Amino acid sequence: MQLARLLSALADAHVGVILIGGVAARAHGASRFTQDIDFAYARDDANLDRLATALAPAAPYLRGAPPGLPFEWSAATLRRGLNFTLTTAWGDVDLFGEIPGGGGYEELLPHSEEVTAFGRPVRLLSLDWLIHVKRAAGRPKDLEVLAELEVIREERHG
Amino acid sequence: MIDPAALIREARTRAGLRQSELAARAGTSQSAIARIERAHASPTVATLERLLAAAGCVLTVALDPVVPPDPVVAAYKRDVDVSLIRANLARSVDERLAVLEQGANELEALATAVRARRPGPR
Repeated sequence: MQLARLLSALADAHVGVILIGGVAARAHGASRFTQDIDFAYARDDANLDRLATALAPAAPYLRGAPPGLPFEWSAATLRRGLNFTLTTAWGDVDLFGEIPGGGGYEELLPHSEEVTAFGRPVRLLSLDWLIHVKRAAGRPKDLEVLAELEVIREERHG
Repeated sequence: MIDPAALIREARTRAGLRQSELAARAGTSQSAIARIERAHASPTVATLERLLAAAGCVLTVALDPVVPPDPVVAAYKRDVDVSLIRANLARSVDERLAVLEQGANELEALATAVRARRPGPR
């Protein structure tokens, strides 16, 4: 995982993304290990161009797909899809056009906060909203994460 | 739930202000802002409103019904290692993510070493 490189590439290219999922939970103080790096991304044309360009050096490919598929990493591909699970040279990256209970980038933006990570501005989903979307997802694997996030909130507020 | 640390940091960042600049505008010290942003101090609502106003924001509050606790989540919470959480909260966001990156790479190196020791197909 090259988290610093990934976040720097996205920040330097001014890509509209919000860090969500396990890495956002870690940024808020969770201890649970996570391997994939999840983002909600803005779907406007200019942002899709920036996103495709910023990640191109990491050669994104469909995670779990057999090699040799006619997959082209481009803004056009992003336009044709919505959610992408990718393997890249910088780590496993999941891109979400929408998330259950949270909507898309524009809906999540007011519930995000900007922090500094690896010397770059990084936008991540707020702790309260991370809890909200985990509750909405309601998957069994989210319940343990939810417990940890709620403990973090209690610790923060004393 | 109001999270003063996140609110102040977000308002200050949106306004493009350093902690010292926000402190000067609000008539307080940079260290006071830093303590709030690190959740080491909990401001009163009046102080929070004043700091947010200095960053050009207004605090609005909404009333939502209480969400009843999920019994499964409550059971999991008893198993959460609070000492790990406290250690993480004492770190900066930068440090928390650097630890994650380092841990992921160490696990990957371990997995690679284990794969290399496995006997190949006969």
